[in-house]
Amino acid sequence: MSESLIRRLGELPAAEPDITRTEHIRKRCHAHLARQRRRSLVSSLPPLGRRTTGERLAPVWQTGIAVLGFVYLAEVIRFALGVFSLT
Amino acid sequence: MDRETELTLVGRLRQGEADAFDEVYAAFSKPLFTFLIRLSRRRDVAEDLHEETWLRLVKHAGRLQADTRLGPWLFTVARNLHVSYRRSRALEDSATASLLGLWPVSARETSPFEETAASELERRIERALANLPAASREVLLLVAVSGLDQSEVADICGITPGALRQRLHRARELLADALERDAVRPPVLEGVPPCPSR
Repeated sequence: MSESLIRRLGELPAAEPDITRTEHIRKRCHAHLARQRRRSLVSSLPPLGRRTTGERLAPVWQTGIAVLGFVYLAEVIRFALGVFSLT
Repeated sequence: MDRETELTLVGRLRQGEADAFDEVYAAFSKPLFTFLIRLSRRRDVAEDLHEETWLRLVKHAGRLQADTRLGPWLFTVARNLHVSYRRSRALEDSATASLLGLWPVSARETSPFEETAASELERRIERALANLPAASREVLLLVAVSGLDQSEVADICGITPGALRQRLHRARELLADALERDAVRPPVLEGVPPCPSR
């Protein structure tokens, strides 16, 4: 009984969504895939065109901070040597 | 669909190929929709869940594992979406249950297939299936109707293979019982008025 019942279940008719709905799903999914493709393409390319002001100034302020850090460190060392009367 | 084709399609889907999506859709749309319509017992709900399942596939396409099995992946998403839908319905139903309780009709569930069934036996099976508890119905649909492996179905339902075997056994018993009860029920003849009771 049980096996024949299971076989019967396997023979039940299938259903499918109507054509307009299928077309709607395909359009939405294709659009999503196209967007995704564009995004991954853009992210894999090297930056093009003019750089922003922030990007252009980045090396300048990075160098500035490095110089200030170096000056501060040198001054601290000089002061420490002065404290211990080594200069 | 053989495994090699499936792996190729997964690779193409990961690259966002629309043609690969069409091939996957052609292969799985019908069994997936059939599963959802029998599970939800409503065509409109099945259509919405079906669409959402495919959208989830394309949203996750770039992150699919290279060895993904598309059938179980799609059925898992569809089943989880149905579980979420049932939970939200349960909340709505609990809010309106007190009002519906006043309505004097029986709440027998029907399946969209029941009205179009080709034979009386088919109609009885659809009716019995539609009235099974959701957990029993889903395992029967996945194993017997969709033809998935029991190990795959266990993964889809998030249970162990042992628990699946038990659930499947129970579901078969319930279905057989429902069919037996339906067989002894006197047929309702259309157009014939019921006997007057004395």
